[in-house]
Amino acid sequence: MKREKRIKIYVAMVLIIMPIFLSGCWDSHELNKLSIVSGLGWDIDPDTGEVTLTYQSIIPSEIKSSSSSYGGGEPKGGSPLRTIKLDQDTGSSPYDVLSRYAQHASRIPFYQHTQVYVFGKEGVQRGIYPFLDTQARNPVSRPNALMVVSAEKKASDILEIQDGLENIQAFGMAAVIKLSATFSKYPAVTVLQFQNRLLSKTTAPIAPMVGIFEETGPEGEKSRKIRVIGTAVFKGDRMIGQLNERESSGLLWAINKIKIGFVMIPEASLEIVTAKSKIVPELQGDQVKITIEIDEESNLVEYKGHQDMNSDIVQELEKGQAKEIESQVRAAVDKSFALDADVFGLGDAVHRKYKKEWKDLKPKWDDIYPRIEVVVKVKTHLNEIGDVNKALIKD
Amino acid sequence: MFLEKGRISNFQLSVLIIGFVFGSSVISSPGGEGAGHDAWIACTLGLVEGLLIAWIFTALTKQFKDKTIMEINSLVYGKILGKCISLLFIWYLFHLSALVLTNYGQFFKLEIYPATPKTLELLLLMLVCASTVGRGIEVLARLCLILVPLTILVVFADTFLLIPHMDLNNLMPVLDVPIGKLLLASHGAASFPFAETVAFLMVLAFVNKPGKVPAAVSRGLLIAGFILIMVVARNAAALGQMAVVTNYPTYLVAQVIDVGDILTRLEVAVAINLITMGFIKISVLYYGTVLGLAQVFNLRSYRPIILPVGILMVILALTNVGNTLEMLNFAKKGYPIYAIPFQIGIPLITLVVAKLRRLPQKGELDA
Repeated sequence: MKREKRIKIYVAMVLIIMPIFLSGCWDSHELNKLSIVSGLGWDIDPDTGEVTLTYQSIIPSEIKSSSSSYGGGEPKGGSPLRTIKLDQDTGSSPYDVLSRYAQHASRIPFYQHTQVYVFGKEGVQRGIYPFLDTQARNPVSRPNALMVVSAEKKASDILEIQDGLENIQAFGMAAVIKLSATFSKYPAVTVLQFQNRLLSKTTAPIAPMVGIFEETGPEGEKSRKIRVIGTAVFKGDRMIGQLNERESSGLLWAINKIKIGFVMIPEASLEIVTAKSKIVPELQGDQVKITIEIDEESNLVEYKGHQDMNSDIVQELEKGQAKEIESQVRAAVDKSFALDADVFGLGDAVHRKYKKEWKDLKPKWDDIYPRIEVVVKVKTHLNEIGDVNKALIKD
Repeated sequence: MFLEKGRISNFQLSVLIIGFVFGSSVISSPGGEGAGHDAWIACTLGLVEGLLIAWIFTALTKQFKDKTIMEINSLVYGKILGKCISLLFIWYLFHLSALVLTNYGQFFKLEIYPATPKTLELLLLMLVCASTVGRGIEVLARLCLILVPLTILVVFADTFLLIPHMDLNNLMPVLDVPIGKLLLASHGAASFPFAETVAFLMVLAFVNKPGKVPAAVSRGLLIAGFILIMVVARNAAALGQMAVVTNYPTYLVAQVIDVGDILTRLEVAVAINLITMGFIKISVLYYGTVLGLAQVFNLRSYRPIILPVGILMVILALTNVGNTLEMLNFAKKGYPIYAIPFQIGIPLITLVVAKLRRLPQKGELDA
């Protein structure tokens, strides 16, 4: 009897104490009270430095119904899907903007799923330090989100262009950038990579640039789409110039970021199988000589000539390909010297190899950099020629 | 005195030491301050120094079998001086566990539970530790057998998934920092976390085969050390310069993991590692504090003082530093010096005095 009573008292105590801990969820994030930000646009006024943030938030109810409405085929006013909502606020600093956002929004912005940070072209020329600091300081921001520079004036210009295939615009933009990186056209730069380039005293940060192009459909209807158009080059937190398509590819060749893709030469197209590159510095006094060594293997996917394949042609293709790669890298090198921005990380390469000499070189690096002699060495190998070894139409 | 009847095996001791060394170092890179991307070298040198310190205090327990540092002090220095030194040592254990609690509280306040009051977070962890300490060292050692392998599994899984993100160029050039700075950083890595195992002077008395204690301690230290070196090198390789800039590199590095857009957001696993390993570290220190107090003041049981000590610990943890910056400054500049008398001074001097006085004399061990 006595024992039972004691057990009852214990159980009662546990039941009284437990709710204290279970209800105490201070940090609960209820989904219906959040506005999930998929993309964040940053515009910094070039004159006043005022920050304008564009929040691209996901409308959850639209995502549920969107697949059926899309299948039903009732596009309204040229934009078949409206799963996102854009909000914009201006303030003196990012957190000033956030406090303004709270005046008109019904939900708290939630940044854990932000895929892209888009910077308006005007703002990046003034410098994006407010972003870089807030991003690094704030624990909710993620290091894997992509950095994008808008080729249009404002970040909001490209955040509102809806692609047909993806439900959520920012996710689609991230996919576009990642695909362009997979096909070795433009770099995909995460926040972490950008920060690391920034922290290295010599290397210049880079980010892909996204622009708008107008597409004409088969029935003459016009639609606007986004497209990667170049690589923005930064010095510190300011954008100082950009690389075009060819220079961007050259940059990727040199920094060992080539995955798959094609090399086009006048007589053929070749598919890259593997590509490796190394930046080898050599120090002669104050003179730095850099050799960019590229090792590439490819398959023949298109041949415009009308000859049967033989080893002479293979050799010719290998040579032509090497020449093409070299000229791409050369274009990037020339541009980087013209911009006076070390996009390849040459300074870091010298530091890695000559750590003792680096102490003396580092203060003078700005003078040494323009005088660097760069040699590009490309080795190519043609692996496969495809399923046929004779031309279908002969000369 | 039979304050503790439990006995742990040498294997359990090794696992306990691994858990203890992981402690709060599972979220930070030991040696990262000052050594930059050479933190793994600093960590290696720190491990060597930690092993030397472990050699000192295991020699002490080898000499005085079945005795905790409190009883050894009384034997070596006499009743009054011995108790004073014991109290100093107890202060170190108490302060260290408060520091671990602080670290835990700051991490959770910043990264996981920004709105939850810190007091409650610390109080909940303290209550769990208190209940474990009340059940004795044996329970804690058995818990370790579950928790430590899980943590090691998470660490290795994280490392494996990070391989695509690693760039070994980030570790180059090797030995970039001046040698003086490197040695300072490695002493920092030794004082936190390797030499903190000096707290085991309160535990080693309860190992069932005292002869094999030095081997068990160094085995535990070596395994934990190698895993930590791997973690530190991995953080530097995957994060580059950001590993030095960020406060919690291991947490940030787990955010980088991305396997096909599906396996992401693994950083909470790192936070769970901190909860479990921090729990082990705090429990060992907490246990040492209350057992030491009971021995110094000749109490019949240490259980009644568990909760009061725990509450004091939480209060100290909440008030000892104002913010993370003060904590980092203390960890970087103050702690490596502050810890020397406790980690090296007390064990070494006690060992020397004991040798000079030819202690323990026959019969004293049975007393």
